[in-house]
Amino acid sequence: MATIASMLASTQNPFPCFREPLYSRSRSVVFRSYLEPCGRRIRTIPRFIRACQPSDKVGGEGGSVSASAKSYHFGNELLSFASDNFLPLALVTGVGMGFANPTLGCLADKYSLSKFSTCGIFIISGLTLRTEAIGAAVKGWPLGIFGLASILLLTPSFSRLVMLFQLQPQELVTGLGIFCCMPTTLSSGVALTHLAGGNSALALAVTVASNLFGILTIPFWVSRYIAGGVGVSFPTDQLFRSLIVTLLVPLIIGKVIRESFKGFANFVDNNRKLFSRMNAICLSLVPWIQVSRSRSLLLSVEPKVFLAAIGIGILLHLSLLAFNALSIRILSGLSGDYNSKNSKGNGTAVLLVASQKTLPVMVAVVEQLRGAFGEPGLLVLPCVAAHLNQIMIDSILVNVWLRKSNASSSTDGGSDSEDESDIEEEIQEVQNNDINNRYLQDNSDDDDDTDTKRVIKPTKDKRFEEMTHTVEQMKNAMKINDWVSLQENFDKVNKQLEKVMRITEAVKPPTLYIKTLVMLEDFLNEALANKEAKKKMSPSNSKALNAMRQKLKKNNKLHEEEINKYREAPEVEEENEPEDEDDDDEEDEDEEDDDSKEAVTDEEVDETTDTRWETMLNKKDKQMEKLLSKDPKEITWDWVNQKFKEIMAARGRKGTARFDLVDQLTHLTKIAKTPAQKLEILFSVISAQFDVNPGLSGHMPIKVWKKCVLNMLTILDILVKYTNIVVDDTIEPEENETSKPADYDGTIRVWGNLVAFIERIDTEFFKSLQSIDPHTREYVERLRDEPMFLALAQNIQDYFERMGDFKAAAKVALRRVESIYYKPQEVYEAMRKLAELVEEDEEAEDAEEESGPISSFIVVPEVVPRKPTFPESGRAMMDLLVSLIYRNGDERTKARAMLCDIYHHALMDNFGTARDLLLMSHLQDNIQHMDISTQILFNRTMAQLGLCAFRVGMITESHSCLSELYSGQRVRELLAQGVSQSRYHEKTPEQERMERRRQMPYHMHINLELLEAVHLIGAMLLEVPNMAANSLEARRRVISKNFRRLLEISERQAFNAPPENVRDHVMAATRALTKGDFQTAFEVLNSLEVWRMLKNRDSILEMVKARIKEEALRTYLFTYSSSYESLSLEQLAKMFDVTEAQVHSIVSKMMINEELHASWDQPTRCIVFHEVQHSRLQSLAFQLTEKLSVLAESNERAMEARTGGGGLDLSSRRRDNNQDYAGAASGGGRWQDNNMSSGYGGRQGNNRSGYGGRPGQPRDWSGQNRGGGYASRAGSGNRGGGMQMDGSTRMVSLNRGVRT
Amino acid sequence: MAETKENYDLTPRVAPNLDRHLVFPILEFLQERQLYPDEQILKFKIELLNKTNMVDYAMDIHKSLYHTEDAPQDMVERRAEVVARLKSLEEAAAPLVTFLLNPAAVQELRADKQYNLQMLKERYQIGPDQIEALYQYAKFQFECGNYSGAADYLYQYRTLCSNLERSLSALWGKLASEILMQNWDIAFEELNRVKDIIDSKSFASPLNQVQNRIWLMHWGLYIFFNHDNGRTQIIDLFNQDKYLNAIQTSAPHLLRYLATAFIVNKRKRPQLKEFIKVIQQEHYSYKDPIVEFLACVFVNYDFDGAQKKMKECEEVIVNDPFLGKRVENGNFSTVPLRDEFLENARLFIFETYCRIHQRIDMGVLAEKLNLNYEEAERWIVNLIRTSKLDAKIDSEAGTVIMEPTQPNVHEQLINHTKALSGRTYKLVTQLLEHTQGQAAR
Repeated sequence: MATIASMLASTQNPFPCFREPLYSRSRSVVFRSYLEPCGRRIRTIPRFIRACQPSDKVGGEGGSVSASAKSYHFGNELLSFASDNFLPLALVTGVGMGFANPTLGCLADKYSLSKFSTCGIFIISGLTLRTEAIGAAVKGWPLGIFGLASILLLTPSFSRLVMLFQLQPQELVTGLGIFCCMPTTLSSGVALTHLAGGNSALALAVTVASNLFGILTIPFWVSRYIAGGVGVSFPTDQLFRSLIVTLLVPLIIGKVIRESFKGFANFVDNNRKLFSRMNAICLSLVPWIQVSRSRSLLLSVEPKVFLAAIGIGILLHLSLLAFNALSIRILSGLSGDYNSKNSKGNGTAVLLVASQKTLPVMVAVVEQLRGAFGEPGLLVLPCVAAHLNQIMIDSILVNVWLRKSNASSSTDGGSDSEDESDIEEEIQEVQNNDINNRYLQDNSDDDDDTDTKRVIKPTKDKRFEEMTHTVEQMKNAMKINDWVSLQENFDKVNKQLEKVMRITEAVKPPTLYIKTLVMLEDFLNEALANKEAKKKMSPSNSKALNAMRQKLKKNNKLHEEEINKYREAPEVEEENEPEDEDDDDEEDEDEEDDDSKEAVTDEEVDETTDTRWETMLNKKDKQMEKLLSKDPKEITWDWVNQKFKEIMAARGRKGTARFDLVDQLTHLTKIAKTPAQKLEILFSVISAQFDVNPGLSGHMPIKVWKKCVLNMLTILDILVKYTNIVVDDTIEPEENETSKPADYDGTIRVWGNLVAFIERIDTEFFKSLQSIDPHTREYVERLRDEPMFLALAQNIQDYFERMGDFKAAAKVALRRVESIYYKPQEVYEAMRKLAELVEEDEEAEDAEEESGPISSFIVVPEVVPRKPTFPESGRAMMDLLVSLIYRNGDERTKARAMLCDIYHHALMDNFGTARDLLLMSHLQDNIQHMDISTQILFNRTMAQLGLCAFRVGMITESHSCLSELYSGQRVRELLAQGVSQSRYHEKTPEQERMERRRQMPYHMHINLELLEAVHLIGAMLLEVPNMAANSLEARRRVISKNFRRLLEISERQAFNAPPENVRDHVMAATRALTKGDFQTAFEVLNSLEVWRMLKNRDSILEMVKARIKEEALRTYLFTYSSSYESLSLEQLAKMFDVTEAQVHSIVSKMMINEELHASWDQPTRCIVFHEVQHSRLQSLAFQLTEKLSVLAESNERAMEARTGGGGLDLSSRRRDNNQDYAGAASGGGRWQDNNMSSGYGGRQGNNRSGYGGRPGQPRDWSGQNRGGGYASRAGSGNRGGGMQMDGSTRMVSLNRGVRT
Repeated sequence: MAETKENYDLTPRVAPNLDRHLVFPILEFLQERQLYPDEQILKFKIELLNKTNMVDYAMDIHKSLYHTEDAPQDMVERRAEVVARLKSLEEAAAPLVTFLLNPAAVQELRADKQYNLQMLKERYQIGPDQIEALYQYAKFQFECGNYSGAADYLYQYRTLCSNLERSLSALWGKLASEILMQNWDIAFEELNRVKDIIDSKSFASPLNQVQNRIWLMHWGLYIFFNHDNGRTQIIDLFNQDKYLNAIQTSAPHLLRYLATAFIVNKRKRPQLKEFIKVIQQEHYSYKDPIVEFLACVFVNYDFDGAQKKMKECEEVIVNDPFLGKRVENGNFSTVPLRDEFLENARLFIFETYCRIHQRIDMGVLAEKLNLNYEEAERWIVNLIRTSKLDAKIDSEAGTVIMEPTQPNVHEQLINHTKALSGRTYKLVTQLLEHTQGQAAR
């Protein structure tokens, strides 16, 4: 029996050795090889890889969004709100930190960090101060002036009111008083105005001016209103001076830096958000330091008081708001005729700006006061609160306005504030009585009185006005070469244009717009012509320039006619034929892009390509159209090649539309000039199609998959037709290899890897089945695509075989094998029939596609058959493929093919063949070194083998195949048919994802219930008589631990419910069987649902019944033999409904194996039982001898260990002894036998674990599935050998196993 | 019945593993047993001979087959060709052959191969070409059916040959020649030589090695069933793991011979158990009455079945070219192996039967043993007398009563502890030696 197990070392072994380590991650290997073909065409591989794993990319993008100043381009309301509210957050954090841990703050105070931070605030303010915009604010001067006045002169008087409040400590109120005297905020006011769509330029102007003048006014007001109130003399001069030092000087420094270094300014502009953050952080440092310094004091303040202070702050702000709103309304009413159009924007701006007070200046002032009014911390704290309040109130206000105006329109941070205000206004026209727009009331009132016609007119005018305004701005921007703002304004103009066109209901855009376009175009050309200047441009500027060019070109196309007309009519300018230019431009563009790319960061590259892509696409359409009319001769190889390269260069970049890429490439295949080129492009098409599916977990869209397969077939057509074309992925082909015409003599090498493609296609198919819900129709539909894949695989394999590349053919064959091996003959037949049906439909589809719009230059007839051919039986096909793989495959391929082969044999009920193959392949010894998917395959194979053994009635074999699978209660996991929850350790998401990726699609599943039933029934049949035989020492010889455990659980139950699941059924059957009631046992099992899964169910049930009877008989004899003196054969036969011959055979077997101490009395046909019970004394004596021998042995061992040298002799003798025992055990008397064999049990157990417990096994995924169990199959397979013999033989087999 | 006979005939399975020449004895045997129509066998023979050089023989067969006196033209031509080739080879090998025929010259050869080669080259101008020619000549001789000549030349060749591959194939040739000449002792030696080479040599593929083993086992069948000691040796050879593996994988039909050998050979009982397991494993791939007989007796304890199988076995043995060797005793021909087999098989059944019975009816026993009542009684008495069986015959009831085989408990205890004192004694002496050794040092 050991022979088979050891056979393999020497003999005809399809796999001679498995020694070299196999790939640890098979998928990745496949993947890598797939990646390669595309990688070469791309300039930088890393980028490509990134494109292949977009999950990373998305993460990265998210990060960059939050970090970069550009966020408002994409930012939705929430995001912008959050980023706008960075300041309050920072302040709160600062205060919180101050409270939480004052030591750090005190330390910072020691080094007068607050002074630096104040300086920092203003340097940053200076840096970010954009004076260009101030000019725009001039228009709203009346309101602006009012705003200034309000900030500097009127609002400080509110501090008087504030000082009227009495709070303990008074510092809180004083702080608020000082706060009233402050000028407007630097950041939040402008930002909120932006947000509200007010005139932000005006807001900015007011802010700057008020802050500058504030330095002059603050000392005055403070000494006037507050010092008087508190009764402290106030050092006005000193404050004034120090304010200049800490505020004005840094501000000016910042501004100077900004003005003198253009690049720096651009940097600041691009990273405005960053700077505002820094500003916020600096700002928050002050309350932090202050709070931590005066923490104890602050803590003494009652919360009530503090709340009151906050309330005062809120009240203050609300009253300021009311006051300003009222004044503005009055003011607008006064000059109503003048500013009807943008007064609302100005109004918003002034209202917001004038009502807010600045914290930084306040902080600076308090800093300078040096405690004149009390503890600075207490002074600052209410102001911080007030500041937060005002920001919050205003934000809410702004949001309310915005929501009112249009809930669905997204608020773009700043660039289209005009736009926003427009929308708002429109709404207001409908809802005139809204409270929030009282500052615009008169304007609307006017409208109210007039009729609708009059309404339209002013709106139209207004639109034009706005447009002119924007155009003005653009002109300004052109003068200073500021492409960033130019770009913004251009967008704005376009939006405005839409509105204008809508209102005027005109078809043509206004001349103003056309004029602007012409102007822009000229300017752009000029800028492009001036390369040197371009190089000097800051990156952001040049980026904007590039973007602008794209936009303009795209845009101009829409208005081509008008532009031309305009150019012809008013001014005599050169005739520009945009289309011709396009091509040239494109060339330039590419070069320029390449130049600029070096300087530009990654992100920007992405962006440029992004925009470039749009134009490319447009052009593509046009070219396609052109091609229709174009003489085919004009399309040259070079041209196609160049296009191809262009498209390929875009692959994998961020923002490239993957579908479009595929479309473009597909188009190119149609115009390819040589077959080789067509082939090359087709390869890229397929790669691109693979790219369509982002991420590892998702599967490729099914449509794309089908197209992909068709493309592959086309490739094969070409390859078959033009035999001189060779596909290779090892040699870098020459540049113009593909230019060689079809009738070129030599071989043409094209770069590609068919195997990788087919493997990927298969993987995608697999993945799609994994993720589709198996209970839907979709799944079935998807399964119908399998013949398509098989056809392709077959063709590719044929091709490889013709080309003599058997290695590759073997790989492809493996894929075919893997899609067939699990199919029983019926399913196989069904697939065969389906293949014939499906293909007819498909041909029709093909025909349709062929008659598409453009017929390709290289028409390839369908040389390759589209229909897979199947041999009669699945077995024949398997044999064919598997033998090819055995001859040519590499180790892993062979191993997998072998497993599939075994699986299929098992499926066909050829247990013997399957078992021999498994043993000969030595797979079970090596399986734990293989990749996980192979291990899963191995587990599946073992499961199927177990089922097969059961079907053919070999219970012991079946059990030994399955017991390992069921030992760990992880069957689902081991078979990759679901995830089992483990109570003890959580899986990481990564592990789970990996696991999900490994799952088998539903149609490949092995029915787990059936498997469990088979396993448990097998265990029951073996274990029940075993338990009966060893009822006295139940723990000693356990065949199936799992079964024992289940039995214990079920026995522990007080009441036995009717069986529900498989387990219950088997347990119920076990109970019946233990009593010898085979009828009930069988009936319970017969009622199991799972039997309908079996093909020849009746015969199998018949077998089960026969086995149950036999085991029942055995159990009965074991249990009750002591009660009988003799037992007649007939009676037994009748009792168990077995033929006498069978009973005779069974009982004889038991006698021979010394399981039953009895013998036949032939003339009377009776079993005569022998009384062989030992007396107590006798058993004690045996125990004693047993112990003695153990003692002797341990003595020997000790001696051996000490002396060392004598060991050889001793150990050899011990071996002899062992053999003696073995001889005695099998041939000797019965009780000695018992003792010995129990001794053996233990020893053998050790052996087993020693053999099975290889290093690294427990953590191994399915390592534990291997073990010695199967190796000992041959031993346990001997039913006749019975249990006792079994033990010793198993040991022998194990020893041999170790030796071989 | 004829049909089953053919079913059990292994020739189609054995023949592919034999040399063409080795098949002839089998065919002769089959012809004699008349299992197949004569014509079929004759045709098959001609076919076999076509590839050999035994043209004359082929012509004879042709004549007897078609009852004509004319040999077909191609055979005549082939004959001429063969003769011509023989001549040319003879010439080529002539120098060496003359040298070897000269006993004085052969005396000069020494055990040193290198020396021999050099000596031949210097003194007799015999180089590798001539040696090669000798091989070809020997081969040709073999093909022509001149086995003794071939055996001689091949022996000489091996002493001079330096090419291992060639040497091995020469050895095979020698083995075949000896078998065909029925020099069983020499053949057995050669067999062992080949076996050593196969086991020690590293083959390019394990498959090759297995193939070689299978060839060896098939060829060995001739020797084992003719050699006096063959039945022990067949077990020694076939029952080695490596060879058993080969049998299981590629040639399960060889199990028949192994099984027969086991049944016939009493001394190899201990290995029988192992072999039974092999049979169980292989029962799905190969069925044979002899093998099934063993299964019946030792696996299923189906004595009636065993009884039937025994009869079938008889048929099989008689019709098997290897097993059914006849010994002519005057005009009385017997198959010695058959008798031996039946005797032993009977013993097997009886032994097992006795083990599980305490009382057996003589009539039933006689039936089971394929004997009549008196014979059975005599047989049992003989067994009892030779103390092979611990039983008594109850003549009155016509039963055999077994003595209880349970060993005494005390006996067991004594057996169990007997070894202990010896072990302890040895342990102590060893300990003493050890301490003395240390003290001396």
